[in-house]
Amino acid sequence: MQKKLVVFLTLLLVVSVFSVVGAQEVTNPDTFVEVNMGTIDSLDPHFQYDSASAEIIDNVYENLIKFNEGDITDFMPHLATEVPTEENGLIRENGTVYEFPIREGVTFQNGDPLTPEDVKYSFLRALIQDRDGGPVWMIYEPLFQKGSLADVVTEVLGEEKSPSDLTAAESEEVYAYLEKAVEVDGNSVVFHLPKAFPPFLSIIAQGNGLGAIVDKEWSVEQGDWDGQPDSIAEYTNPTKEDDPLFDKMNGTGPYELVEWVNGEEVILNRNDDYWREPAPIKKVIIRMIDEWSTRKLMLQRGDADIVYVDKQYMSQVENMDGVEVITGLPNIYMGAGLMNFNIVTEGNPDVHSGKLDGNGIPSNFFSDIDVRKGFLYSMNYEAFINDVLNGDGQKGRGPIPEPLLGYDENSPTYELDLEKAEEHFKKAFDGELWEKGFEITILYNSGNDVRKSAVDMLKYYVEQINPKFKVNVRGIQWATYLDKLIANKFTLGFIAWGADYADPHNFVVPFLGSDGTYGGFKGKDYINFAKENIDPLIDEGISSTDPAKREEIYKELQQIAYDQALDFYLYQPSAQVVMRDWVEGWYYDPIRDPGQYFYSLDK
Amino acid sequence: MISYIIRRFLILPVILLGVSLLIFSMIMMLGPYQRLSTYITDPAQLKGAEDIDQLVTKYGLDDPWYEQYGRWISGVAQGDFGWSESAGAPVTRAIADRFPATIELALLSLIPVIFGGIILGVVSAVHHNKIIDHTIRIFAVIGWSFPSFVFGLLVLMIFYGVLGWLPPGRLSNWATEIVRSAEFVNYTGLYILDGILNLDFSIVLDAIRHMIAPVITISILWWAFILRITRSNMLETLKKDYIRTARAKGLADNIVVYKHAVRNALIPVVTVAGQMVLGLAGGLVIVESIFNIRGLGQFMANSAQQLDYPGVLGGALYFGFLLILINLFVDVSYAVIDPRIRLE
Repeated sequence: MQKKLVVFLTLLLVVSVFSVVGAQEVTNPDTFVEVNMGTIDSLDPHFQYDSASAEIIDNVYENLIKFNEGDITDFMPHLATEVPTEENGLIRENGTVYEFPIREGVTFQNGDPLTPEDVKYSFLRALIQDRDGGPVWMIYEPLFQKGSLADVVTEVLGEEKSPSDLTAAESEEVYAYLEKAVEVDGNSVVFHLPKAFPPFLSIIAQGNGLGAIVDKEWSVEQGDWDGQPDSIAEYTNPTKEDDPLFDKMNGTGPYELVEWVNGEEVILNRNDDYWREPAPIKKVIIRMIDEWSTRKLMLQRGDADIVYVDKQYMSQVENMDGVEVITGLPNIYMGAGLMNFNIVTEGNPDVHSGKLDGNGIPSNFFSDIDVRKGFLYSMNYEAFINDVLNGDGQKGRGPIPEPLLGYDENSPTYELDLEKAEEHFKKAFDGELWEKGFEITILYNSGNDVRKSAVDMLKYYVEQINPKFKVNVRGIQWATYLDKLIANKFTLGFIAWGADYADPHNFVVPFLGSDGTYGGFKGKDYINFAKENIDPLIDEGISSTDPAKREEIYKELQQIAYDQALDFYLYQPSAQVVMRDWVEGWYYDPIRDPGQYFYSLDK
Repeated sequence: MISYIIRRFLILPVILLGVSLLIFSMIMMLGPYQRLSTYITDPAQLKGAEDIDQLVTKYGLDDPWYEQYGRWISGVAQGDFGWSESAGAPVTRAIADRFPATIELALLSLIPVIFGGIILGVVSAVHHNKIIDHTIRIFAVIGWSFPSFVFGLLVLMIFYGVLGWLPPGRLSNWATEIVRSAEFVNYTGLYILDGILNLDFSIVLDAIRHMIAPVITISILWWAFILRITRSNMLETLKKDYIRTARAKGLADNIVVYKHAVRNALIPVVTVAGQMVLGLAGGLVIVESIFNIRGLGQFMANSAQQLDYPGVLGGALYFGFLLILINLFVDVSYAVIDPRIRLE
């Protein structure tokens, strides 16, 4: 009797479990599921600087203007009622004044009305917060021709001082300086720039959380900056744990945050009181799943509407039933190889002997233009694009990617040419290099197969040129790679840069500028060269409002990068999207990529 | 026995302190720029050397190691285990959030693993060298040698990809909505138990459905392990004189095997089972990744990979605490199984 009862109960459990399966097969057209990977860094629009966070912010917060369905040359009004132009008089005084009339009748998700004061607060909050390694440098440049709050403090006080050490009186002085740049004028917000800065609209457009508008009253209630001039020290450069908006959101956007479980999922609900028509999809679930097989099966079963697919797995989804794959989308991105002009040789095994003796390389190995050209002619660019990227990308023609100003599809580039490589290696170091040979180790960060393939190719071709040339390839953890970059101990390293905003300035500065993110790591010889030959052109390019003149300047910078053989501009990859074929309304936005704008989607 | 247990608990803080010092000093052997990789995870986040040094100063990465350790340990004394950059949350919350998923999976896996393993091991030993023994042994070898990432993927592909029965994650979307609603009380974070306590059996069934595939994957490995140990101990025990005597006395075979032999053969099994519980409760990175279960295994692996020392130390302390607790439980179990063992 007891046994029969156990068997009966077990059967009942099994039947019940699978009866739930049946109920679950009913798909819900009101819910959109995106399956992605990685983690979200922060939900604070002024703190975040990663694409996973930006996607959430882009759907909850809004900016003054936005791109017209991904067209980076066409702006649309958003929380502003008009896009400033010289024609409508909202850009004035030789491109140094921008006026944005603020839309009325817009409310934040908690019901607070949007006011010009919120807009001013948002920009000043970003300027004051300016966390180390964060995105706020992007608006310091147009608004103050500076890189950070620390630079402003130095200018205002006449001495270097950490913003977090400011006294109340000093804070007021610094605040007065900042406040001059953002002014409320009736129902408009007016920005005052010291000099014309053509990419300004691009920088503050939707897609860049930096220009997102937060609710002043609500933010203060959460414990954020109180809006007072004397409290900069208290609110600047917070850590995530000290940032009140790290995990809370209240925007004017089409979706509101319901829940964020970091590393697991984000749930967004439609904002039914949205100032435009409410979004077609009621609920959005963004799930973070690092395992590719799981993501693939969810797509296959229709449990995911859109999934993130790494390039190497694209062939697995290309012929999947009910799945739409779009490839070849223009990605504003540059994968490049940096050559270090002054390698730190002390305690650095990658330079081997550290001398030009056939058993290593000297510190200034890449200062010799013939060495750089020798390496540049030893890369099989075509095979790299076709075999490593499976044809999903194009060769770079300089630091500026397509379609930005200054990109020219007919500009000269390096090709694989071992004869020319030999010619240059023979000239390097007055022939001594050819005679003695060298040994170098090139590093890549483990797990990055694209970079490994690039380095392997270089080794293959360079070693063919002269039996005395030896190239070692070594994969190291990201932590060690980072250490090598910062300590100037890398020899030749592959890295990449994706657009923060759609302007060539955002590429020439990091790659070529003497204090650019990457330029700054290339050693003192390069920095001296850049100060003299590159920086003046960069300054000229960014302060001109004439697009034709700017184009010429950026073309000249591309030409210098080619003539001086400054870096490997290896590839500009294409983007791709993989989604169920029932998804409607999707469009590509190269600045937003790989995030989605759920407002436009339906299914 | 009680004084033994108290002594073990008293020694706990000393051991945990030692563990934390050891791990901390190993992390400190890396330079500040290497440890900066916790905060800079991509080359594009590098912005001039000036910002990099500011970041090092901001997080105190170039302070002497004892100052950094002192900051951490004084936080711990106040219940603050620091901020885990890899989890994007305070360490205590990161562990507390993931603990229920790991424990639910561990507890559910224990049932088939221990009982299935022991029963099959005993059956195999009792039918030594017969067809049933051979079959079970083959099964054990296959199970033991099957990598969990291969077996897990197969289970997922068949039972989710093809049949659609056993989806990944801990709950379906509709169930997640219920569990996170104000009406549903999360007593423990273990969805099956919480479903029962809330008298919402649709949640219980949905949670069970999501747990079947990972439990099968874990079971197939550990089942074989427990089975092999039980079998070999049973074989040894069945050869003992007192078993022969029991049989000579005319006791029924079932009584000889299950009352006399099994109990004595279980001691080594308990030791191994203790290690197994520790392994399961510490999280299983591969199973968690494949079946999308946000557990402690992934947290600890990510912390270590990102050199997120508060995360690594928090995980180590949790693991150390668990180790001591389970060893204690195992010791107490010895005494229960074998009354000759006395804990002093």
